[in-house]
Amino acid sequence: MKRCIAAVFSTAFLLAPALALSHDEPGSYGGRLGKVSFPTSCDPKVQADFERAVAMLHSFWYNAGEETFRSILAKDPSCTITAWGHAAILMNNPLAGVGASAPNAKKAQDVIANARANPPRTQRERDYVEAVAAYYDDWANKPEKARQLARAKAFEALAAKYPDDDEAQIFSALYIAGTQSQADQTYAAYMRAVSILEPMFAKYPDHPGVAHYLIHSYDAPPIAAKGLTAARRYAGIAPDAPHALHMPSHIFTRVGAWDESIATNLRSAEAAGKGGDWPEAYHASDYAVYGYLQLARDADARKVMEDVLRHPYGDSPIPAGGYAMSAMPARLALERHDWEAASRLEVIPNARLPYTEATTYFARAIGSARRGDAAAAEKDAEQLAAVQKKLEDAKNTYWATETEVQRLAVAGWIAQARGNAHEAEKLMRAAADLEDKNEKHIVTPGRMIPARELLGDLLLEQKRYDAALKEYQASQAREPNRYRNYAGSAMAAEGMGDRESATAYYRKLIELAGDASRPELTRAKAYVAQR
Amino acid sequence: MRTILTAALTGWLLCAQPLAAHADPVETDPDLAARDADYAAGRDALKARDWPTAIARLSKAEVRNPDHADLQNDLGFAYRNLKQYDSAFKHYKRALQIDPRHRSAHEYIGEAYLMVGDVKSAEKHLSALRDICLLGCEELKDLQEAFVRYRGSSPPKR
Repeated sequence: MKRCIAAVFSTAFLLAPALALSHDEPGSYGGRLGKVSFPTSCDPKVQADFERAVAMLHSFWYNAGEETFRSILAKDPSCTITAWGHAAILMNNPLAGVGASAPNAKKAQDVIANARANPPRTQRERDYVEAVAAYYDDWANKPEKARQLARAKAFEALAAKYPDDDEAQIFSALYIAGTQSQADQTYAAYMRAVSILEPMFAKYPDHPGVAHYLIHSYDAPPIAAKGLTAARRYAGIAPDAPHALHMPSHIFTRVGAWDESIATNLRSAEAAGKGGDWPEAYHASDYAVYGYLQLARDADARKVMEDVLRHPYGDSPIPAGGYAMSAMPARLALERHDWEAASRLEVIPNARLPYTEATTYFARAIGSARRGDAAAAEKDAEQLAAVQKKLEDAKNTYWATETEVQRLAVAGWIAQARGNAHEAEKLMRAAADLEDKNEKHIVTPGRMIPARELLGDLLLEQKRYDAALKEYQASQAREPNRYRNYAGSAMAAEGMGDRESATAYYRKLIELAGDASRPELTRAKAYVAQR
Repeated sequence: MRTILTAALTGWLLCAQPLAAHADPVETDPDLAARDADYAAGRDALKARDWPTAIARLSKAEVRNPDHADLQNDLGFAYRNLKQYDSAFKHYKRALQIDPRHRSAHEYIGEAYLMVGDVKSAEKHLSALRDICLLGCEELKDLQEAFVRYRGSSPPKR
């Protein structure tokens, strides 16, 4: 609580002198948030604030945006188009699939009712309010998917009615992207959004929403590289929005641009920490840890983890923070192949987000199995089964499946520890095939270890070098530029006697992390030095 | 002063309210029974073995929730108990179209195929369950037992 009080006063101090400045200038309310033009019929005195609030909405800076829309309405009670922005904020991250909480839905319905009783002056503004109202219509009796579809349809209709209103086109693209299923690997909804956003990006290179939504719409392995331009621009467009600093790393991680990912996440973690937003700071730190571990900068990874873990925030309901809290120590052990440390990880209880516990059980079981302690691994495998059951009972299909992948992988390595190579491969291959059918969740930079890479590790252990290399190569297509993948690929090629490929992979490893001191790098340098 | 208070409130909100920018994608709606009275009534009717009422209420819920695998599976179960197998197969297939790994739908459709004597089709679902349940599951066990009862012997081997 002391930290919160400090944050309240520091936020007040930072924001107090700046309300009159433009939304795209350093020191303005909310800081630099990019350029947004959203004409309204409101009092011209609140127009700049209104556009700042829309910019906040575009960068998912919801608390600040909500407060700004409220303060505009207080200054100009006739400015009821604010109901649209306020209700849009209360829907929460439209890409996350969960939507408004019940209290927020009620709050949104109230602001919409106020706007209907005191309608905005123009038809366009009234249509914006009705478009967002489509999401809240009969809210309690509709599943989130139906609400998402109703929202997308309403904003597509708005965009069609006002073809010259580019904000309508941009919001329509966002809500279309929000209908993307993680099981649809054609990315149909994302591609529809991209077809709207790319021309807008050429027209508005400094618009926070266009760059932001392009990153989300390219946030899948086969298409991630197309999002690089938007990713590289977004943090510069809205450098004072914590989410804008973190968001580019979704693309950087997908394409293996570790230096860029680390840099932007360190800035994001710092900004979030200064604002007292520790879940966001944890989330950004997890991404930074992941990046450092790919460069074998293990001490830096540990420091980032330890720095943020000094700020516990209890049993937060926010998945990003809880996930990162469990994930960072597990990554540090697994990526360094420190099986003993992995087997000794402590489980952080989290009844609300049981899949965060699964992360630790998985790491512990893999650590134990790879040390040859099948009995200890079995105990954690039983815990994983219990977590999967909880998730299935809660109908959380996505995380139940992710946990099933972990169970299959662990069972594979237990079979390997017990000398049953055939069973081990069967189980590990089933894990990899199942994982390939789903995209990773936005809460994580990557799975603890990609299952197909782990299959490569298993086959390498079995000295089936050509089969191992094939799996490593398949994994590289989805999870590029990973240290462990290059190391495994090089060793597999070396085992096959394919000197040319082994040298190429060892060179990649040196290029990626040449200054670090992991054992594989010593081996790589010795190998490429051979004549 | 008001500005400072507003900013202080913003800072307070930053601490007090979670920024739920990241959340779980929930592929199956967890609260359907809590939110859809027809679905809840249909489930109750299933428990009471009142198949016509179950079908009537679940069909109403289906209009609002056409892509709900559990609901389709429940409808299949009700029709199966009325021995209206064509309708049962239609709903089980729809459940598996929505979720190809729906263990319960594989089990029940497999049992339904045994009821109509289509062993070959039942074996396909047994095989699917064996692939899905590499680590074991109740649904696989139950379908294997149905084969044992059907044949009076062991279930088919792979």
